[in-house]
Order: sequence, then structure tokens, then C-alpha cells
Amino acid sequence: MEKHMSVCPYCGTGCKFNLLVENEKVVGVEPLNGITNEGRLCLKGLYGYDFVNDTKILTPRLLHPMYRRSRDADFERISWDEAIKIAATKFSEIKSKYGPDAIMTTGSSRGCGNETNFVMQKFARAVIGTNNVDNCARVCHAPSVAGLAQTLGNGAMSNSIQEIGETDCLLIFGYNVADSHPVIARRVIEAKEKGAKVIVCDPRKIETARLADLYLPLKNGSNMALVNAFANVLITENLYDKSYVANHTEGFEEYKAIVSKYTPEYVADITGLDPDDIREAMRIYAAAPSATILWGMGVTQWTMGVDVVKGLSGLALLTGNLGRPHVGVGPVRGQNNVQGSCDLGVLPNVFPGYQPVTDAAIRAKFAKRWGVASLPDKVGAMVTDVPHLVEHGKLKGYYIMGEDPAQTDPDLTAVRKSLAGMEFVIVQDIFMTKTAMLADLVLPATSWGEHEGVFTAADRTFQRFYQAVPPKGECKHDWEIIAEIATAMGYPMHYQNTQEIWDELRELAPKFYGATYEKMEGLGYVQWPCYEVEDAHGAKYLYHGNKFERPSGKGLLYACEWHPPMDQTDSDFPMILCTVREVGHYSCRSMTGNCSALQTLADEPGFVTMNPKDAKRLGIKDRELVHVSSRRGKIITRAQITERTNEGAVYMTYQWWIGACNELTGENFDPTSKTPEYKYSAVKVEPIADQLWAENHVQQEYASLKGKLRGAVENTAAMKVAEVA
Amino acid sequence: MNRFVAADPGKCIGCRTCEIACAMAHRPDGSTEALAPTNFEPRIRVIKTATVSTAVMCHHCEDAPCLNACPEGAIVYRADSVQVDQSRCVGCKNCVMACPFGVMEVITVPAVKSIAGIQVSAGVKARAHKCDLCIDRAAGQACVGACPTNALRLVDEASLQQSLAELRERTAIAAIAV
Repeated sequence: MEKHMSVCPYCGTGCKFNLLVENEKVVGVEPLNGITNEGRLCLKGLYGYDFVNDTKILTPRLLHPMYRRSRDADFERISWDEAIKIAATKFSEIKSKYGPDAIMTTGSSRGCGNETNFVMQKFARAVIGTNNVDNCARVCHAPSVAGLAQTLGNGAMSNSIQEIGETDCLLIFGYNVADSHPVIARRVIEAKEKGAKVIVCDPRKIETARLADLYLPLKNGSNMALVNAFANVLITENLYDKSYVANHTEGFEEYKAIVSKYTPEYVADITGLDPDDIREAMRIYAAAPSATILWGMGVTQWTMGVDVVKGLSGLALLTGNLGRPHVGVGPVRGQNNVQGSCDLGVLPNVFPGYQPVTDAAIRAKFAKRWGVASLPDKVGAMVTDVPHLVEHGKLKGYYIMGEDPAQTDPDLTAVRKSLAGMEFVIVQDIFMTKTAMLADLVLPATSWGEHEGVFTAADRTFQRFYQAVPPKGECKHDWEIIAEIATAMGYPMHYQNTQEIWDELRELAPKFYGATYEKMEGLGYVQWPCYEVEDAHGAKYLYHGNKFERPSGKGLLYACEWHPPMDQTDSDFPMILCTVREVGHYSCRSMTGNCSALQTLADEPGFVTMNPKDAKRLGIKDRELVHVSSRRGKIITRAQITERTNEGAVYMTYQWWIGACNELTGENFDPTSKTPEYKYSAVKVEPIADQLWAENHVQQEYASLKGKLRGAVENTAAMKVAEVA
Repeated sequence: MNRFVAADPGKCIGCRTCEIACAMAHRPDGSTEALAPTNFEPRIRVIKTATVSTAVMCHHCEDAPCLNACPEGAIVYRADSVQVDQSRCVGCKNCVMACPFGVMEVITVPAVKSIAGIQVSAGVKARAHKCDLCIDRAAGQACVGACPTNALRLVDEASLQQSLAELRERTAIAAIAV
């Protein structure tokens, strides 16, 4: 049996393990003592490896390039030469006809690694000539990146994952750590065992709420009001650190004026919380010698996401909980390399290493290194801009790499319409997905396990992962495919290996310069920023000496008025739908749905969880199939009745095809980060009288969809390579 | 004293890693591949109520009601635990009714007979199905090893005596404080 070291391809914890390989097949996993996981793994880490082997449980691996001559035609198998030629020709045509900004590209926050993301943004900027490059951070932690960049100067976790176990107080806000990052949940439990106080703010009684010292079950959509009330208590009760505020922050007077209205009594109706509990939370937080705030999608997936992030960083600034060990602000990243794709400039406003595209000197540096006369200076489009840009005729070509927007983006009807409205769509993935079914050209990439590279964990930790098995079929590495398209478009791009790409990145991004492949060998790691090769492991925490990465060097205290969510409930759609995740499945499910063990735990159509009182009122029994509809769509799913769900709200996980909650969510976005308000859609839940019909319907629909995706790959597999004129 | 696996609800996050670890440990090939909803039969179950998340499994009782209820003598004390001799199990479910914790099940598996070297189907075979402490697994209890939050531990006589001694000491110190 061979052993190949890897980093888990699921959440952002960055757990290290060995892949066990027999006869070129991954047969198991052995935990390793990585810096973030210290020998522990969760169920996805331990039993989520077999998707690499092409199990075809949910959907098959892509094994050869496929093309369809027209949108109503079936896919045909084509050669790589043809595929590259088609991609280059179509993109060149669109570019010359409509200009470079008519093409949108995505990086991937998943298994492809940092190097591929570097090559993709280079392709967009240097080859196409646009900053239209983005990644799924847009629909996830983009508000954290934008909010923290404004208040503290750096959008990442200020602390390290290990530090979570060492802090004296954890304020966990809108973050279901048990389901999102089980191995980080262990740190929360460790902290608690060492005497840390745990405060949890979440409308749903999540696992950490159960274990918390103080649980604040706030109403869905009241985050900003609660954060302002927290600040109000810190100020009115003199719990804040006056010398820290005076020396290291700015904007206090304005901040104080805005939050003065938000007394715990004033927000009692908005949040549904007892004013004394709000006060108690801040007394605990302020009294702790070290305190850490952690948050997740419950903070970011709102139209007020950026504002609440800024508000939370204000609490840390007010109490001096930054710039030293075991404190800080932790937006804990969901996908294994979503921190990495942001680091590598797969964002429309920054080059790799968070260097603004609007800075002429930075542009000149990159243009010189990349051998182009100039680089685009206008901030590009975001992935959530795509539907309306297509509608207005601004976008004509789309290069989607390792993402499945037709499953994961809000309002899937609008997503499908936007893909149909494009002249040319490439999907480059490892699996046949719902999005790939809508593409013109489908390019098969190597999976995690079949290539090497560097991932960035949620806490800025760069770690290397290695190839364990040979590529399947005709799969090529993502970065090879992009480089070949670039070359065919007249921009010669050649890399021998990922290290060559990484070293180009290090040269161009000072924050990452010290992170060499050699230092990251084996269980090695480097946390950025790491400016010098001599700096062994980089920065465990940010803002040493309380120097914030802003022009003044001070942190910004920021507050703003609360407003209610956009999609309002009414008599037709009286309940709130909040989309969430579950521990056994990941993202669009193309990976976990192809893992025997994980798919065994949970399968279609998924669940809508609801409170027993709501269920009784609606006449719905546990495990019955129900209809859920919104102003945008209607789906069928299974009711799960639990007292952990608050009354008036229902929760669905977003990876199901039949119970696809994103058919229901809407296009209401945060004005700054354009992150959708996944956490609040007005819906109606209805019982289905004929359960037998419903069960059959779900099975038929599921089988038909699986058959369609599988057929697209298998029918072409038998084909000879078509000659496409 | 019989050993048993104890779960700490203060550490459990309800992730069900233990359930998969258990199911995997009892697959002959040790592979995830053949795992499917129809054959997923973990001997440890994660239970979530409004206030509790924890795993439940066999207590390996000292005076085991399942053992006492078995008319076939299929349940025995062995290796400081309660074990089932599956060859004697007839699937009468007395043990299921007797278990006060709801952690004994009777399942059926396809039975095969070997006739002149040829495997032929022989209907189904019943099995009293419960935690066997992974006694045949060199690495020990699979659930304990896999739990990401260390919420599971094996309790044996020595570890129980040690925690009891610590508790008694704490009780004594508390008495002085009063």
C-alpha cells in the first residue's frame, strides 16, 4: 500500500492526512499530525475520499472533452486539440466583437489549488484583458473580506485555528461550527474545558448553542441591531478599553452616536432577546482576559453582511481583543481553498496578494512580469452580477472552473436563464454537474488526489498537498488547460509544474514571498503574511503591535442603522427560509454525493427542518414529503420536525437536486460585496396529501436527472472523437 | 468488570462520524465502497433531542438482561464484555425486548450454505446486532478512534476506578470547604 500526503478537500480547517492507495485507487485515509488538525479528522475527512475513484453514485467523472454544436444538440466527444481550438476561437471572437469585459471567468475554491487560481486570474487579466474573475467567496465570506479590509485592513481571520482552543471567551455569531468545521468544534470544546466562556448568537439551537454558557436566540434578520446593542452596552457600562480606543482606533464619536439609540431595551423587539442577556453577553466578553469572535454564513449571507462584519470587528476594537495571542476576529472559511482563491487574486478588484487593480504601480509590476503592455484598471464583474449583466447584453462568454452555480447560486431560474443567454459557456470540472449540462464546451480536469499544489486553510495557513493517483481518462490539470487556451489565443503560457507557478506568485506578492515550497514540504506550513524566507512559519496572528493595515494605522470603529431583510413575509409566504449546511455533505454535493459512506447518511430530497408548533399548525408529520414555495419557485422536500428549529422559520441545506432550496432563494444582495441574502426568503410550506405519489415523484425525478447527467458522459464515451469543423 | 464505550454529551457535536466508523469496522473488506442505505447498520447511534446530542450503544451490563433473556444461550460474557455467538441466534428478539437502553437490534443477512464447495443461498440468517467493542480489531474501538471531538472513550475497570478515586477526592475537598 502506498501513502501520499494530502490536505482534506472539504472545509477550510486544512486537516492533513495520508491517502492510502492500492493499485492506483484511493482506498483509505490515515490522519496526520497537521498544524490545524493535530491527528483528528471528521467524517468527510475520514470517509470522503472515494469520489476520486469515479464511483458514479451521483454523477460520473468527466473523462474526455465534450462539445455541443448547438444548444439543442447532445454533447459529442472531441479531442483536446479541438477543444482548445474551440475555446480559443470562441473567446477571441467574443473579445474582438464585444470587448474583453464581455467574458466572465471563475476560479475555484475547491480541490484545484492555489496555483490553478493564479493561472486563471492571469488568463483573465493578461490574456482576455479583463478583471472579470471571481470565486464562490462572493456567495459566502466576501462580506468578511470587504468588511474587515475596511475596518482592520485585512480580510482574513486575524487569529489561528489552534488559538481558538486557548482563548478565554468565544463569541460565536451566526456560525454553526459543529456542522461546518467539526475539527474546529473540537477547539471550541477544548477552550470550554479549560474554562472559557462560550456565548452563542443564532436563531437556531445549533450544537454550540446547546453547549454554550449563554445562548442568545435572536430573531432571523436582526444581526445589526444586536451588534449595535452589544456596542451600546460596552460603551454605556464603561466596559470598553479607553486607552486602546484612544491609541489604536478612529471614528469613536460617530460610532458612539449611532449605537447610542440601540439600547438593549430598544432592540428587544427587533431581536426578540431579553435585554439582560444582551448585557450579560458583553459583560462576559469584556471581562475575559482574551476573547475571540467567530462567525460564519449567519453573518455574511445578508444584505447587511458587510455592515455586521464591520460591527463585529468594532467589538474587538472596543475591548482591545486584537493584535495579541488568543484573541481576534475569525470569519472561518467554508470551502477548503476559498481563502486561497481570494489570496490568489481570483477577485475582480485585486491581484494576487491583495494588491489593488486600481493601483497603477501594481498594474505596471504585473504587466512587466507577464509581458503585456498594460492590464485592465477597472474593477471587474462579480459572479452574482452575471444574471443582470447577461440580461443587459454585457456578458457573452463564461469560463466556469470547478463551480456549480446552477446548484449553489440564488434563484436558479435566473441562473439558468443567464447561462442560456451567453453565447459561449465553458465548464471545466471533475464531475458532470447541473451547470456542465448547460455548457457548450465541457473540459475534464484532474481531481484533488490526481495533482499537487498548495491550499490555504481558513487561518491563512499555506500547506502542500501531493498527487496520489494518476489522472483518469484524458483529464488534464486545470492550470495546463488554461495555459493551452492562453497559448492558442496568442499568449504563450507554459509551466513545467506547480512550483514554477508558485514561485512566480511569490515574486509578485510580497505577503507570500517567504512561503517557499521547501518550507511547506511534508507537514510544513506557512501562515501569511510571510515576507521573508527566514521567517519560518509566518504570522500566527495579525496586527502585531496593534498596527492596522489602513492608511492611519488605526482600526476603524463603524456602525450603521439596522434595516429588516429584503424579502418580506406576508400571508401568501408567511415563513422564513434560511439555507444552511449539514455536516456530511459539502457544497454542491458533486464530491460527497459520490462517496458511499456520506451518501449513505443522507440522500435526496433532503430535509426542511421545522418547529413542532409550525408542523402541527400546518398538519405536517415528521418525515413526510412537503412542498416549499417562494415567489421564485416551488420544490418538494422532506419535513424534519425538531425543537432546535425556531418557530416561524424553516431551514434547508443547499446541496440537493430535488429539494433544491436555491430554486426558492432570491437575488437580494449586499450593496458592497454583492453577497446574496440566502438566510432570509419568504416561503410557504404545504403538506402533500398523497404521500405515495410524492415518494414516487421524488424517486422518478432523481433517477431521471441522474440518468441525464450520466448519459451525457457515457454516451459520448463510446463515440469516436468527432471532427468539429 | 465488563468494559463499555461511554459518550460525553458535553463534547458530542452530533456529526455521526462514529456511526460510519462502526459500520466500516464491521465490513469484512473494511472498504467504504459497498456501504449503502440498505446495509448501513451501525451499532452506535447518534441521538439528538432539543437539549442533548450524544451517541448511544451497548452498556455491556454486568447482569445483562439480553443475556438472561436469550433462550438459545447465544449471548455470553467474553473478554470483559457481552458478546453474541451469531451461530446460535435464532432472531427471537427476546434480547431486543429485554434491553433497557434500546441498543439491541435483530437484523437479517443473506445466508449461504456451502454444498460440495459451491455457495448456495439459504434464505436469511438472523443476527442479534449490538456493539461488540471491536474485540477483533487490532486498533481497538473504531468509534473511539474516529470521534473528532474525543467525546467517546472506553471505560474499563482501571479507568473507572481512577475516575471514582478522583471524584471521591473532590468530594472530600468539597467537604472541607463547607
